[in-house]
Amino acid sequence: MDRIPGFDADVAGRPLIGLEPENLYAYGDLIRRTEQLILTQFGRGLVSGTTHTCLGQELCQMSVVRALTHPQDVVLSNHRNHGHFLSYSGEFTGLVAEVMGREAGVCGGHGGSQHLAYRHFHSNGVQGGMSGIGVGLGLARKLDDSESIVVVILGDGTLGQGLLYESMNLASIWDTPVLFVVENNGIAQTTDTTGTIGGSIDARGKAFGLSAWHFDDADPQLFVQVEQAVKEVRHNHRPGFLVIDTKRLGPHSKGDDLRLESEKQAISQRDPLIALGQRLPEQTRLAIEELNQAFIREVEAAATASPEAGFADPPRHIFSGTDKEPECPETTSFVTGQGENVRTHLNRALHHLLESSDKTIVLGEDLHDPYGGAFKVTAGLSSKFSGRVLSTPISEAGITGVTIGLAVAGFRPVMEVMFADFLTLCMDQLYNHAVKFPGIFRDVDVPLVIRAPSGGGRGYGPTHSQSPENIFTSIPGLTVVFGSHRHDVAGLLVNATNEWRYPVLFLEHKLLYAQIQGPGEFVPLDTHADDLAAHLFPTLIKRCNGPDVTILTYGGMLPLVEKVAGYLEKEEELEVEIVVPALLSPLPKASLIAHVGDSPRLAIVEEAHDDYGVGAEILASLMEAGFAGRAVRIGTPPVPISSARSLESQILPSEERIINEILRLFE
Amino acid sequence: MPHPVYVPCVNINDDIVLIVDVTVSAGDTVKAGDMIAEVETDKAVIPVEAEQDGYVLKILCDVEERVKVGAVMMWIGDSPDEQVPEPASKNPDEVSSRTNSQLPTAKARALLDKHKLDVVQIPHQGERLTARDIEAFIAGQGGTAGGVTAAQVDSPQSFEEQLPGTPGSLRSLSAEEQGMVSTVIWHRDHAVAAYLEMAYDQQAWNDYAAAFAERHKFMLSPLLPLMAYRLVKLARDRPGINTTLVNGQKYLYDQVNLGFTVQVGETLYLTVVQQADAMDDRQFIDALGEVQRHAMAKKLRPEESKDATLGFSSMARWNVSRHVPVLAPYTALMVAHSAPQKGGQSAVLGASYDHRILSGHDVANVLQALTQPPEVQ
Repeated sequence: MDRIPGFDADVAGRPLIGLEPENLYAYGDLIRRTEQLILTQFGRGLVSGTTHTCLGQELCQMSVVRALTHPQDVVLSNHRNHGHFLSYSGEFTGLVAEVMGREAGVCGGHGGSQHLAYRHFHSNGVQGGMSGIGVGLGLARKLDDSESIVVVILGDGTLGQGLLYESMNLASIWDTPVLFVVENNGIAQTTDTTGTIGGSIDARGKAFGLSAWHFDDADPQLFVQVEQAVKEVRHNHRPGFLVIDTKRLGPHSKGDDLRLESEKQAISQRDPLIALGQRLPEQTRLAIEELNQAFIREVEAAATASPEAGFADPPRHIFSGTDKEPECPETTSFVTGQGENVRTHLNRALHHLLESSDKTIVLGEDLHDPYGGAFKVTAGLSSKFSGRVLSTPISEAGITGVTIGLAVAGFRPVMEVMFADFLTLCMDQLYNHAVKFPGIFRDVDVPLVIRAPSGGGRGYGPTHSQSPENIFTSIPGLTVVFGSHRHDVAGLLVNATNEWRYPVLFLEHKLLYAQIQGPGEFVPLDTHADDLAAHLFPTLIKRCNGPDVTILTYGGMLPLVEKVAGYLEKEEELEVEIVVPALLSPLPKASLIAHVGDSPRLAIVEEAHDDYGVGAEILASLMEAGFAGRAVRIGTPPVPISSARSLESQILPSEERIINEILRLFE
Repeated sequence: MPHPVYVPCVNINDDIVLIVDVTVSAGDTVKAGDMIAEVETDKAVIPVEAEQDGYVLKILCDVEERVKVGAVMMWIGDSPDEQVPEPASKNPDEVSSRTNSQLPTAKARALLDKHKLDVVQIPHQGERLTARDIEAFIAGQGGTAGGVTAAQVDSPQSFEEQLPGTPGSLRSLSAEEQGMVSTVIWHRDHAVAAYLEMAYDQQAWNDYAAAFAERHKFMLSPLLPLMAYRLVKLARDRPGINTTLVNGQKYLYDQVNLGFTVQVGETLYLTVVQQADAMDDRQFIDALGEVQRHAMAKKLRPEESKDATLGFSSMARWNVSRHVPVLAPYTALMVAHSAPQKGGQSAVLGASYDHRILSGHDVANVLQALTQPPEVQ
């Protein structure tokens, strides 16, 4: 923290803000002066992007954060976070420089006003988006027997966000020490929240069985009351729901305050910070303000002196930072039984992961014995590893957040989504959170795995049969693995969990579960050094003597492609090579180009929609590298997958369609 | 009637189950509720029970076999000697044959494309043309293959050859040398060359040429151009000799492009007068002279050395009394003019022809007409 006049740091390096009125006033005044400085810089055109100040809410924002005493306590904040951040860190210069996009910013300019990451403080610009992550961090603390807690701070506008209720429910059923704080300022950006919130705010917390409090930041007892609530969450190991009435003195961001002058005047007259100052002897107050003013001038000078943030070398992916190269462990050798099916191998891998590390957590819907998951991949786990195999509510977004929180806290979570179709419910958590941590905040690892049974062929219909990898491979920084029965699927899962510190989507095809696993005639393709993670998730190849056609496929299409290749070899006399990547993103481009680039004909077979698909990306990469052969993509057309198997088989790629499309390459 | 026993669905997500035990044999009697087999998934072993009394007619699965849910695993009949329906399903691992099975195999098509061959050229034994058929065809052709349309002349070498063991060096062929190689290669692979000859009336032709030269004030005898032009006229009247064979069909040219061989230095030019049949004799002589001058100056235009439909060659200049010319590509006839035999006035006109498409009789008729100049006839 900065050298703040009148304040020392606690053991964790955070500012010690005592309950004495002059302390509270001094710190609240510093926050207000900082916000005013930021607005001044904004007016000068020196702020990068937008900003949201907490003018009027300083005491409310201080009250919860200053009450956190454990070094591992977590604060998850939102877009309006400056008061929380300054109370947590004491980094005034770091905040102002960050908002100005300067090198001296606490996040080096990567996060700006809304996205701050500092020790155990995180904020994000998606309303309520971190509430599930908070439950995950709380669960990690519970599993570690820590006395630390997690505070998730929201505005009342966020009470319209569904993820929040999944998170409150999860916190309740798992007794995680999470305090949900609603800063109830009665306005969501420009919308009066009396028109957006049905029923009672307090009842929301009570309905989920959370301890509930409701205070007012104009109440002189606020700090004592809040401190007591925080203590209760810590000591009871139970989640809480704290509502603090407050008023926003300034606009939502800048220049967007549409409230009536009379209303703004009333808010001004209520101003709890001014009221607190007026309760001090005037000499004391003036002395504080003079010191603070000088300090803020220093902050301004230091932030302004800092050069603009810049990349030495602009990043091309999230997998290596300037100071943190990815580790490249050797591929895990993970041998399981011969002649067993894919499901058994995956189950053995999960047993191995849970046995070998207390940090492994397996969670998802209906995982418990004797059911063992919809596809029985988790059979036997909950009986053997009680407390680390969690059957969850139907809350895909919430448990994805939990998984992220566990991973950030040092656990190795493996989450199951019952059908890959439901992964879209996890989208915000993956797209706006999981991949953003390592992408923006270089010190944060997110080693999580989400497993999902994917694909059709079982007549499950439009929302239980899809192959959504084409959507998820387009998420920047999400690693997507899709093995086959020819891959060592157990090895892939172990590597994804233990050897790769980034979020992984691990797809499993439903039809492969019952397939006997074994390499057959497939061997690993040589890995090119430029291909990140390719050594962990190898591409397989079934070679031939000078291919007439190369079929590139993955996942559940492989058994079909093997049959097609057999037909083409026998009936059409073709030499057929089959290339099967397990890693769809980051794509092992260099390895594929090196091997497939010279093939005279290439057929890419994917079960996903091939418009804007994985095959399109592969083919584009090959074309850019000079591929001159003929090529075809064979996938599912952009239509819903019908339920009747007879209809489904006409929509998904069939042996006959694949053969005909490939034969067209010979016309 | 026979009743099927289906492989049961044990778990909604398992399409395949393992047959753990079959506790009955064909011929056994069973009662409804009797256990007749056991199947297993990853989750459980469950018994399969007979649904009615009867006789086990036939068992379609083996112990330790993995079978598809919904398949028939055995038949039970009301009496022991009922006929079991034939299985309608085929082996699921076999992909059914395509409907386009009359087409060449894809490999064969790739080879046809690679060697620029046409399917009608290649004989084949089986229902479909195979790679083996094409390889056999190419081997029979001496390891090379040529073009298939009259409009193009292909690379003279389709196959990579080994360098000889004796030391030497490679150099590229000149454009003219390339033309000669192309001509000969086509002849080897595509024409069935035959030859016949006939004495012609030298005096009559010389007189005819002299009179023509007198009339048109030529310093050199236009004998050979006039003979060539006579051939053009004959071809115009007899389209059957202005032809070639393509893909097993006769290709009748709509015009006469006369190829006239010219030796320049060490190389052979087949100079070509396009659309000679549209010219009169004087125009033809001028056109041929123009082409020959271009050849001598090595400034032949592209159209002056390609697409001959008929050929004329003379080696009288070297006192050769008989020569058998090579057919130009995609022509069926080339007439050869020779010097008189030693001491005599008698000389012969010969003709190389593609015997696939022209008979000796056809060619003899042409030569017969050529033995006399036009007015004499």
